[in-house]
Amino acid sequence: MSVFNQEPPQWAIKFLKFYCKPRALEIIEGDAYELFYKRIQEEGLKQARRKFSWDVLRFFRLRYIKGLEDFNSLNNIAMFKNYFKISVRSLLKQRFYSFINISGLAIGLAACLLITMYISHELSFDKFHQDVDRIYRVANGQAGAWTPARLGIQMKIDFPEIEEVARLNGPYDQTFKIGDQVYKESNGFSADSTFSKIFTVQFIEGNPNDALKQPNSIILTRSLANKFFDFGEAVGQIIKVDGVDVLVTGVVADPPKNTHFHYSYINSYPDETWVTVGNWTGNSFYTYAKLAPGAKVEQINAKIPDFVAKYIGPELIKYSGHDSYEEFLAAGGKKTFSFIPMQQLHLHYPHLALGSGGNIDNVYIFSAVAFFILLIACINFMNLSTARSAMRSKEVGMRKVLGSLRSQLIGQFMVESILVCLLSSILALGIASLALDGFNSLANRSFGYNELFDALTLLKLFGLMLVVGLLAGSYPAFVISSFKPIKALKGESQTGGKGNAVLRKGLVAFQFAISILLIISTVVVFTQLSFIRNQDLGLNQEQVMLVKNVSRLEDKAPSFLNQIDRIPSVQSRSLSNQYLSGGVADWGYQTLEDNPRSYSFINLFATQGYLETMEIELLEGRGFNKELASDTANILINEKAKKWLGWDDVLGKKLSRGDGEDYTIIGVVKDFNYTSLRRDIEPFIFRLMEEDGRAEGNWYAANYLSLKVTGDYPNTVSQVREAWAQVIPDEPFEYVFLDDSFNSLYQEEERFGQLFTASSGLAIIIACLGLFALAAFTLQRRYKEIAVRKVLGASVQTLALMVIRSFTLLVGIGAVVAIPVGYLLMKEWLASFAYQINLNNPLIWITPAVFVAVIAWLTVGYQSVKTATNNPVKALRSE
Amino acid sequence: MGRIQIGEFEELVLLVVAINNDNAYGVSVMEEIENQTERKINISAVHSALDRLESKGFLRSEVGGATAERGGRRKRFFRITVAGQQALDAIREQRNRLHDQIPNLGLKYVGI
Repeated sequence: MSVFNQEPPQWAIKFLKFYCKPRALEIIEGDAYELFYKRIQEEGLKQARRKFSWDVLRFFRLRYIKGLEDFNSLNNIAMFKNYFKISVRSLLKQRFYSFINISGLAIGLAACLLITMYISHELSFDKFHQDVDRIYRVANGQAGAWTPARLGIQMKIDFPEIEEVARLNGPYDQTFKIGDQVYKESNGFSADSTFSKIFTVQFIEGNPNDALKQPNSIILTRSLANKFFDFGEAVGQIIKVDGVDVLVTGVVADPPKNTHFHYSYINSYPDETWVTVGNWTGNSFYTYAKLAPGAKVEQINAKIPDFVAKYIGPELIKYSGHDSYEEFLAAGGKKTFSFIPMQQLHLHYPHLALGSGGNIDNVYIFSAVAFFILLIACINFMNLSTARSAMRSKEVGMRKVLGSLRSQLIGQFMVESILVCLLSSILALGIASLALDGFNSLANRSFGYNELFDALTLLKLFGLMLVVGLLAGSYPAFVISSFKPIKALKGESQTGGKGNAVLRKGLVAFQFAISILLIISTVVVFTQLSFIRNQDLGLNQEQVMLVKNVSRLEDKAPSFLNQIDRIPSVQSRSLSNQYLSGGVADWGYQTLEDNPRSYSFINLFATQGYLETMEIELLEGRGFNKELASDTANILINEKAKKWLGWDDVLGKKLSRGDGEDYTIIGVVKDFNYTSLRRDIEPFIFRLMEEDGRAEGNWYAANYLSLKVTGDYPNTVSQVREAWAQVIPDEPFEYVFLDDSFNSLYQEEERFGQLFTASSGLAIIIACLGLFALAAFTLQRRYKEIAVRKVLGASVQTLALMVIRSFTLLVGIGAVVAIPVGYLLMKEWLASFAYQINLNNPLIWITPAVFVAVIAWLTVGYQSVKTATNNPVKALRSE
Repeated sequence: MGRIQIGEFEELVLLVVAINNDNAYGVSVMEEIENQTERKINISAVHSALDRLESKGFLRSEVGGATAERGGRRKRFFRITVAGQQALDAIREQRNRLHDQIPNLGLKYVGI
């Protein structure tokens, strides 16, 4: 048998044919076969086959492996390489347009990127908790934050659907003393020991189930424990919290940023009856419940009316004066509890969300802003590409003549637009990282670079880039690829057609509309803000210093006040339990009529000098007199309260707190604002606090000291601080000026204003970039026309005006669109304010339009004057 | 003439091609090297070296007729170019120059 009938291993042949470059294949195969046949004779078939395979494997070298060019099925690669090359060349050839295109798009993408990051952060809140879909917040009524002490425990006993409940209080600030060091820490909470069964909390030390069982226990987060004990042992240490010895029983990992329950430390509840037994009518706890697996909220909701009737009904009618709970219901009384999914707290129930500062409206507004800015950038992109297309018509014609299919031309322009997007994305990352700090203050969040350069964020940017590239690139791609080759090669313009020009102008007008809309919003927000700031509050918030933490003084209050009285720049002073602008609680009072009416009046306890310190005007009757012991049973009301009562003469009339606790009205004060002007003034009652800060018998109620100060603030502050340090050196001294405190009520609005300033700024910058390039392009095409006009006697002025006029028209159209939309949107926004500016002020509407028009004139005017002043010979001789 | 960029194995292959100037292709070059130097080498290394030498301009190649011993596949015959000869000469001259400069160290050279 001839050796030539033998065959080497088939797999090796196949493998060789698979990887080897076609031009080297025959020679390699030949040599391998030759060796194979020789070896059969010398070494035997088996060895020859083995060595053949080995040779084939050894030939697997970069030199002999097929390159991209060797794959027939991929011969488009070469075409793509060419597209890429042409794209880069055309971008470089028109550097000015490329720059405007790329930078405009980059700004838009950067804004979008930051906002996407913000939105996905907002939507991720509390998702990390295990079984988060089973965790609910129990709200009082429809969405009341505070619930009775016994609610959760009783619900767990009565409802098998509830697996676990926990109560929570906070967030608050407390003073820690470790050794000699004093720390003031915020984000403190108190919680039942069951909280770790509801929330996902990672214990580093300590037992999750027992850590909060004993009173005076505390759990610290790792960062706080490290701060207090300098990375030493924390569990088992005893520290002073607000002067009380407390045992550290656990250390937990810091909660992630995206939780509405952002704690630094968690205290156990004291072993006192208001916690362990509690009552049904005082609402002083937040209640969280975790449902059993498979349980439905509807099942619980169905049981709540009976539950309320059984436990709360009997207590309620004691206060309401009805004979039975049924009668209370029949009289329109309502009492219920709602289960709100914990995932919704952050965005949909900000007032329940323990200060996490979320707002679904912000998410919507941010999304809209991102969308608009990106839209403006895309419009630029489309406009510039179509406008430029005339210059490339010859290229397109030539390609078509040489056999390009339309789909290939579309591919080419798509590659070009994606390339532009890719460059913009890279630039956008740079812009976004530079703008991160500013964005954080706009969004009230603390994003870091690690979040910006997170793989997921980059993936989103990439996706965004593709979408923008395809969307913005598709229109020019289809337009340019539709050119007729003969016309294109003859140099006949095809984009100058009416349709394209109209579309381009329409898009520009649309850009102006968006810019004007955003500027209108900015103007309205700021006008409203300054209106609110300058609104007469009915009191004088200037020069009022507010000392906090006064509750720590207790018995030392008189000696502190004595020291304060010695400071000459303090004109008057008054203690109060709460302070205006800081949130004042409401208390229920009833009239003593045959048919008693009850109302929740805003209720403030204050010592005698309060009206004087705040400069609240007394309209009728008299103010409190500390010398009269009976004044603690007297009250002052405001005009609104008088109006609600509906009596002509209120002095001497009485209001009741029930159980024979009656208060006589001795005076009426002028209405004044005590909180954000979003809210209207409500009926208000002043009660007298005794000079030592006690109210209602022996309860120490004073939390704040208000001082009316005349000039020399730094000196006064330091004198008050000294007095504080002398009386209670262990407690931190904190103060605020009342006008600052009132202003801080509008932080949200201020951020809103800043957001609109930033976004309208961006919008106008991007729009102007586009306009600038478009104007330059238009003028270039009308270069000869302008020259001819000039030769025939047109002045520079006329020529410039001619160009400007057409763009002004676009601004006009934009304004016509933007103003009605803006009016509706802003009316909606203002509706949440009790005090509003008058939207019918024409200045609000005309200023933004004029502003945009002026910017457009400047953008276009510079170029048109430049073109018009050129020597016409230069334009005309190049025929 | 500048520095000659050529490796030891390449030099060997170039020499063998020069010796077998009429019949130098992959397998013959490999066998010649194995016979002359008793080195075990792989055919792929020879191919690679031949290709490199060709791209450096020291060899040129042409595809020859098919033979039955290769299953009807053609051979690629290599010939040395003038540049290749010059390179070999230059290397040899350099080597000789260096050899000549070795001083007599007075060491007893013991052959076995």
